[in-house]
Amino acid sequence: MTQHVTAWLGAYHDGELQGLRLRQVEAHLAHCATCRADLESLRALAALLQENPAAANLTPPERFVAQVGLRLPRRPERPAWQRGLEIGWQLVPLGLLGAWTFVQAVLVVAGVVLLALQMGLGGDVMAGLWYPELVEGLSAPQQGLSLSEIFNLSEASLNDVGPLMLQLLSHRGPLGWGFTLNLVLTGVIGLLYWSWLASWWARRQHRQRQVQQHIRHLHKLNS
Amino acid sequence: MNRARSETLAQSAAETELELITQAQQGDRRAFGELVRCHREGVVNVVYRLCGDVNLAEDAAQEAFIRAWQHLTSYRPRSPFRNWVYRIATNVALDSLRRERETVDIDALPLATSDEGPEATVESKERGERVRQAVLALPSASRAVLVLREYEGLSYREIADTLDIPIGTVMSRLNYARNRLRQSLAPYLEVL
Repeated sequence: MTQHVTAWLGAYHDGELQGLRLRQVEAHLAHCATCRADLESLRALAALLQENPAAANLTPPERFVAQVGLRLPRRPERPAWQRGLEIGWQLVPLGLLGAWTFVQAVLVVAGVVLLALQMGLGGDVMAGLWYPELVEGLSAPQQGLSLSEIFNLSEASLNDVGPLMLQLLSHRGPLGWGFTLNLVLTGVIGLLYWSWLASWWARRQHRQRQVQQHIRHLHKLNS
Repeated sequence: MNRARSETLAQSAAETELELITQAQQGDRRAFGELVRCHREGVVNVVYRLCGDVNLAEDAAQEAFIRAWQHLTSYRPRSPFRNWVYRIATNVALDSLRRERETVDIDALPLATSDEGPEATVESKERGERVRQAVLALPSASRAVLVLREYEGLSYREIADTLDIPIGTVMSRLNYARNRLRQSLAPYLEVL
């Protein structure tokens, strides 16, 4: 006969044994009356222990909760920066949409301005807007000239003080700087948005895993 | 149909509890009150079985909930909230027992009162009282393991996490407690 499995009977009774050890104990129990009696005694003890009465005459739940509530010390809430960070995180898509809209609006306006300049429309107005000091320095007949004509008059001034955007947009690349800039900025904004979305999805999955884990715990407790 | 319904209910309960925990972690006292209401009975019973006095158990349970509130931000839902509170409650109860005495003077404890009706026999009450006293006579370390296993149904791993001891120690303390109880309750076990 193999050695008694007394030391493992408690764990066997509690369903805590697995694999080889479980098979060893089961095999031993099949032919050892002493260990079977020991196991029965453990089962009887478990049944007897349930006769130990639970606490009676407890304070009613409402009163107990109120008493705990009164004794609760003030616990510092989450720091303002943490709450701000959370709100900021929630608003990221809105911010990105705003940034994208802004970029598109700037590029469209710049495109329209450039087109108008190339067509010689609104030259005076544009010149007044961009180079007021230049327009003020012109004589009355000259003020009737278009911007391109003014630029011809003062090409050096354009090179020195012209708005960066205007220069970029008017550059003649394979597709134009405006298009490239639009592509790059849209790409960056898109990348940020997808990163945020991936992070949001990961957080959601984590939350669902927590819920599933919690359900398993509850099932276990109920069973 | 019933299974699907119970799963839906379980999911809803789990989500509700997680939501309450999240709100309480953000400082919501009302949400914490709901958690206290849900776990009050279990926590009081764990402490009661450890210390044997209802008033002491309720005080210790309140203390445990207050500590839980103070450390709530450190709770992560990897383990059940119930076990986390039990861990705190067990530590509170063991601390207070350690302060007073290593083992309880069972003769000094008040008799357990019961709400059982007249049909409950005197013999059954007496047996229950004898079991209670035998459990209380165990050393506190073994008693804590026994209470968590026999009355709260925690697994060895959960008990080890709750009491912060190795699983091997859980097994040895449980074996010791059961052997002691089998000796002290032998007359009742023979009848069963």
